[in-house]
Amino acid sequence: MAIRLTIDGHEVEAQEGQTVLEVAQAAGVWIPALCHHPAVSSYGACRLCLVEVKVRGRTRLVTSCCYPAREGLEVLTDTERVHRARRGVMRLLLARAPESRVLRALATSMGVTEPSLPTVTHGERDCILCGLCVNVCTEVMGAAAISFVNRGVDRVVAAPFLESSEACLGCGACAAVCPMGSVELRWEEAELEVVPFNNRRPAMRCRECGAPISGLPFAQQVQERLGEKLALAVSLCPDCKRKATALAAKKARPASDAWPHLRAGVREQ
Amino acid sequence: MTTFWPPMRLPERAATMAITKAIGSAQELEHWRQEIDARASADEITVMVCTGTACNAKGAGAVYGAMKKALEELPEGAAVQLKPTGCHGFCERGPIVVVAPSDICYHNVREEDVGEIVRETLLGGRPVERLLYKDASTGEALRSSSEIEFYNRQTRLVLRHNGSIDPGSIEDYIGVRGYVSLARVLTQMTPEQVIDEVERSGLRGRGGGGFPTGRKWRSCREAEGEPKYVICNGDEGDPGAFMDRSIMEANPQAVIEGMIIGAYAIGAHQGYIYVRNEYPLAVQRLADALEQARDYGLLGENILGSGFSFDIRINRGGGAFVCGESTALMASLEGRPGEPRAKYIHTVEVGLHGKPTNLNNVETWANIPLIVERGGEWFASIGTKGSKGTKVFSLVGKVQNTGLVEVPMGMTLREIVFEIGGGIPGGKEFKAVQTGGPSGGCIPAEFLDTPVDFDQLWEVGSIMGSGGLIVMDEDTCMVNVARYFTEFLKKESCGKCVPCREGLAQMERILARICEGEGQEGDVELLLDLCDVLDDAALCALGSTASNPVRSTIKHFRGEYDEHIRDRHCPAHDCRGLFRYEIAAETCTGCGACRPACPEDAISGERRKPHVIDQAKCIQCGACFEVCRFDSVAKV
Repeated sequence: MAIRLTIDGHEVEAQEGQTVLEVAQAAGVWIPALCHHPAVSSYGACRLCLVEVKVRGRTRLVTSCCYPAREGLEVLTDTERVHRARRGVMRLLLARAPESRVLRALATSMGVTEPSLPTVTHGERDCILCGLCVNVCTEVMGAAAISFVNRGVDRVVAAPFLESSEACLGCGACAAVCPMGSVELRWEEAELEVVPFNNRRPAMRCRECGAPISGLPFAQQVQERLGEKLALAVSLCPDCKRKATALAAKKARPASDAWPHLRAGVREQ
Repeated sequence: MTTFWPPMRLPERAATMAITKAIGSAQELEHWRQEIDARASADEITVMVCTGTACNAKGAGAVYGAMKKALEELPEGAAVQLKPTGCHGFCERGPIVVVAPSDICYHNVREEDVGEIVRETLLGGRPVERLLYKDASTGEALRSSSEIEFYNRQTRLVLRHNGSIDPGSIEDYIGVRGYVSLARVLTQMTPEQVIDEVERSGLRGRGGGGFPTGRKWRSCREAEGEPKYVICNGDEGDPGAFMDRSIMEANPQAVIEGMIIGAYAIGAHQGYIYVRNEYPLAVQRLADALEQARDYGLLGENILGSGFSFDIRINRGGGAFVCGESTALMASLEGRPGEPRAKYIHTVEVGLHGKPTNLNNVETWANIPLIVERGGEWFASIGTKGSKGTKVFSLVGKVQNTGLVEVPMGMTLREIVFEIGGGIPGGKEFKAVQTGGPSGGCIPAEFLDTPVDFDQLWEVGSIMGSGGLIVMDEDTCMVNVARYFTEFLKKESCGKCVPCREGLAQMERILARICEGEGQEGDVELLLDLCDVLDDAALCALGSTASNPVRSTIKHFRGEYDEHIRDRHCPAHDCRGLFRYEIAAETCTGCGACRPACPEDAISGERRKPHVIDQAKCIQCGACFEVCRFDSVAKV
């Protein structure tokens, strides 16, 4: 069902169930957000996506990633209060990970000019505890091999008991969603390590060229779900898969019969 | 479950007490209550020993044990009943023993006093003078609690049975008209009528949020989704607060009855009491109370034959202040780590297991049976325009009479601190009262006439909170107070959101530096900037109210901050290293006690001549200050 709201005075249409962030992004309004990813449910941890909403005459700051779009809602993304609050949050993030290029670039586009704060907390490899890796692992991959451990400034993301978890699929989704580049898949001969979680899993490499593909448990899970016919496709890297597909297509149809309209185009040139 | 100490149940008396089947109707309940009433004899002496946690910590367990033994040795026919009770509230003077019907109230009772009490009072009918309360100004010994200002200025409604019923006996509760409200609700009222009554009362949440309870119940009732849940928040985490503990320990059935009534109104059939694990006696009392309520047919299937079924389960917290926040509590109940979530969609719509859930504080639930019994209009006649009824406060800190007090909303802070509290001990000057725990602000003397009221406390920069009232005097360093609460919140932060996790760490570091004499120009402004970030951007109330202690102390005691930063001096003589110890030559007798006490050999002097502290060697440990019997060591 379509609903109407305004963003910075402009009327926009939204669907029931959308968040203000989704509506704003679709309308081309830029709102910084680090802990948000379309594949994962909203967490509301980084607090960068703050906007002001006006409900019943009262304005308040809310995180747009979690705030449901409602009929008649007035959203303000460009007020002094919004920018001051966002800059305050960014200052705190910069204090935690001052060397991070991602943060510095974001801070520049947000117009943060205030002097830096001292570093009082430390995140492993610039981790800002956004929760994307934890949430993608649990919600999307269904593995739940990592989670938040400890409370407050001691909070870290880790596998149970800080030991390599057998629940880890080695799929690399955590590395893919991490906004800071804190999570990395390190490939060894027959194993891959998910840094910095200490998870080590057997590796699957391309059966043609040996290039790294993914963790073996993940590949096995995918193969099981795809069934026999498609299972083989998973064990080829993208390059080799492309080559194999082209070869199969060539064998299936002789060149003279294939794509006459294209051949005609070539001749004309 | 591990028991904290031996159960305090009375031995079963006559066979007529045994309950053979659950109470099946309101009439049966009334009949039972009349039987209990009839058994109580007007002549029978009852000795009530407070066995609340505070009195227990001071030896009430031994007092109770000695009394029990002494009574067993009494001659046949001596009609004396012994009852363990919950918190009376006058914790400063515990262990407390009250003898009825003469209403003699003994304070600071020790095991050794029991024999005298039995001989003189129980058998001889005479009070033991030295154990009575002495009026602070006249020195007169006062016999009963009704004569003591600490008690008679209170309006004890929620706490009315604390100290006179055995929390381990549901019969005691039934005997004081317990469950009469539930019977009325189940037989004569519809759920809507119950909600109307609660709305009429104007009751606002007692856990700190102050949200109108009736409105919350109505929203939950109207929300879509099954099953619905009711929760009692017994996670009381504010340092210095023990209102909920006392209610759970002294009168657990009131909380249970309130929850059953609430569940009926909302349409829930399952309830949870989330108690912090650091309250083992409360956990035990509640567990026993639930068991007895089930045995009596007041909980479980088909309550009082009404067709309404509801049961309650106790969950214990794992030791996290943040789990007092409603969404974090529900996460914890679901077995997930206790961290809050955005509340743009309220928990009355999507709560525990994604279902409509009504969460209320212990004291809020305990008010319900009373509101149903006497009517919402009666409740609304007490208190102020915006804050109805009474509030239980834990009055602690630099105050003469520390303990639990219940006053009508609208009583001034001055009256609570100086009339009920008896003022500041040691002849010291009042400095501030901190209300609302770590989420509250410090209120200075100029605002002492502020009435305790949700909105008016907000206006002076604090909050009602759950009822903590910490009194501070001239020896309290307000910067250290801000540091203390900020450190507490930093440790208790769940760590999910950036402003709270990082912001509190930054603030704590700045405040620690200031208290260590390493403050810099601009620190105060930076603190206020960080306060702004927390106010605007924090995810939950832990973060968004964390600025209150800092802001209010900066606002009202800016001079202390400036002196710490510019002069590296603590005017309250509290922050170690930021003041000196000096021996006053005029009063020093040269007794020499301070010299061996000093770990650094910094004190020199001849016998019977004034001694001197070598400031270069002094490490400001305070040992000389503690040891001097002539008040000759001054903090400068």
